[in-house]
Amino acid sequence: MAADGMDRRTFMFAASLGAFSLLSWRPLSAREYDITGLDALKIDVQAPQLPATPLSMPGLFPGRVVESHHPGVLDARGRASAAAVREMLDRGMRALTGDGSAEAAWRRFFEPTDIVGLKVNPSGTPPTTTNIQLVREVIRGLNSAGVPNRNIVIYDRNSTQLEANGYHLFVPPEVRVFGLDYEWVEHGERRGGYDREIFCEMDCFGERETRSYMGWVPARMVTKIVNLPVMKEHNASGVTGCLKNLAYGSFNNVARTHVPPKTYTSPVIAVMCASAPVRTKAVLHIMDAIRAVYHSGPFAWNPEFHFEAKSILIGTDPVAMDRIELETVERKRKEVGAPSLWDRNPANLGSAADMQRTAMKNRFYRQPGHIKIASELGLGQWELDRIDHRRVQVS
Amino acid sequence: MAMDDRTDWTTLLGDAARSGGVPAAARPAPTDMIWRVTLPDSVRSSPVLRDGTLYLACRDARLYALDAATGRERWTFDAGAPLRSTPSLSGPLLLVGTDAGELLAIDRTAGTLRWRAGLGGEIWSSAVIRDGLVYAGSTSGRFAALALETGQTRWERTLGGRISSTATIAGDLVYVGTGDGRVLALRAADGGDAWQHETGDAVAGGTAVAGGLVLAGSEDGTLRALDAATGRLRWQFQADFGIIASPSVGGETVFVASRDGFLHALRLADGTRIWRGPDMRTITAAPLAGDGFVCVQGFYGVTTAFDSATGRQLWSLSLGSSLQSTPIVTPEAVYQATDRGLIYALR
Repeated sequence: MAADGMDRRTFMFAASLGAFSLLSWRPLSAREYDITGLDALKIDVQAPQLPATPLSMPGLFPGRVVESHHPGVLDARGRASAAAVREMLDRGMRALTGDGSAEAAWRRFFEPTDIVGLKVNPSGTPPTTTNIQLVREVIRGLNSAGVPNRNIVIYDRNSTQLEANGYHLFVPPEVRVFGLDYEWVEHGERRGGYDREIFCEMDCFGERETRSYMGWVPARMVTKIVNLPVMKEHNASGVTGCLKNLAYGSFNNVARTHVPPKTYTSPVIAVMCASAPVRTKAVLHIMDAIRAVYHSGPFAWNPEFHFEAKSILIGTDPVAMDRIELETVERKRKEVGAPSLWDRNPANLGSAADMQRTAMKNRFYRQPGHIKIASELGLGQWELDRIDHRRVQVS
Repeated sequence: MAMDDRTDWTTLLGDAARSGGVPAAARPAPTDMIWRVTLPDSVRSSPVLRDGTLYLACRDARLYALDAATGRERWTFDAGAPLRSTPSLSGPLLLVGTDAGELLAIDRTAGTLRWRAGLGGEIWSSAVIRDGLVYAGSTSGRFAALALETGQTRWERTLGGRISSTATIAGDLVYVGTGDGRVLALRAADGGDAWQHETGDAVAGGTAVAGGLVLAGSEDGTLRALDAATGRLRWQFQADFGIIASPSVGGETVFVASRDGFLHALRLADGTRIWRGPDMRTITAAPLAGDGFVCVQGFYGVTTAFDSATGRQLWSLSLGSSLQSTPIVTPEAVYQATDRGLIYALR
């Protein structure tokens, strides 16, 4: 039985059925939902009953992805220029919305009373986490919409990774930085940590704790979320883009979904993103593709697998953005002769050390199908020919 | 167990050169555990050792005083808010900042509060003490000089950006880095500007002073050596990535870690790199510059000691991840804190 104000839904995923939920049933193709070797998965979701708003994913601009590219964004030492990032973001926001000014574009999404969560990606080598220059420019954009610094909260699941990347040191005064693993007491009430009423429950590999709870910051504290992933290959989910950054950075106990070589990241990522209130709060996605990763992500210790895409992707549709990311990473892998992200050849499986040594090996049969499933769950546009991919050249 | 008999530990790593607070000599690799204590929450600062007591600031809002020989608790103090600032000591007082923006002065023998003073934002840096004054900054950008005995404000400035940089004092000047990318020299007496030097990005780590130079790392990846009197750039060293760890000085060598996981040994005279350590993936903590060795704790769990002169690895420990924590190395023991709240004494 669901708690007061909560809704309970069950999703079933099985190879013989494709994917379906109680609300929609649409089989997927074998490639996009290839769960060969995996048992069927049942996911019970308890989440608030919240009506969709125009800003709810896929948001104000379904199917639209703006790619803002600046060939000079990185200096000779590979450091991002603050001025270049500012111009990329300003022009990208204008291209996304059609507004004459970046300020007007930001005001479409945010009001001065909003408490805005910035979901960064701090998991990775220092050069492949959400760039601090981009975070600062997003804060500036929010400020231009009247959101004060004290209403801005940078969060991720892991407080140590946030601090190792210095987010708490480099942002303006009053901006708060929280790991979801941190709890505190304020005015006699517990804050932080995870919300015990909002969860996804599934048994992936016989684990003892089968629930993943949503963090208190995204669930209760913030009114809106700006999602700031990094363009990266992920050794289990294929890519760690908008959807994975939002899902696995807002819920706990998610590492259990992938045990080499098998992974349930698909469909779990999609189901988590479709759960309120994340679904209604994530109103804008800005993907850091200034420096990207095509193999051994998300950590990518071997710099050989980094590449300079010198771009920022902006949109409100996380599915369309991840589809563009998927194609970009796939193209890069093809360029270097690495197997496809959809590769199912057991000869290409290897250890973590193998994966870090060569792009020919991976620990998992990757499952990028979560992007298509998210589309099936109404979060955005998967079909490439229906994605309005707008390129902005900044120089 | 022999302990240093000096009373004061007036700033991060003990003194303006950040030399470590305890005279540390090269020692063999620790092989045995003397004791281990698990605190209830993360430790994101360095332990401080004086008179047989190890002081630790914990994120559970408590300050712990442990018997350095046994690990037994001598006292704890409830600070009312998480602690991420490394304590400083002067005479009978211990000073530590809280996430609620308070600087606390605590009797270090009894563990009782003497005074508290508000600085308007989280205090992550260490207080610096000299001549009866305490200097400290907070993430609100406020930087103040307070009376050591009472906590009363003598002067206060609002500087640019967050202040997470632990200041140093040399001569009549206080040197501090700011979140908006400057190194400031303020007159210790009244807080007035002596000079300022702009960097390319935030100066999050502490400054160090040695050989007439102020040393400051920046997120722009540059360690700058500035003339302590004038602020003029004397030399700079360019790392491949940002620097948030405080530099430290041992003899004529500067040690600085960049966030991409490399420890660099530089000649104090001109900044020439002598050696670079192996890839430790991420380093956010200041290195400990001992006598003939340097030791640094990496974020991904490895603590490594190197020969200061050559960079040859002397020993290495894998005891857990560390943020902003520098170990204490004495001939008798190594003390180390991890971000999971595990405190080790090893021999």
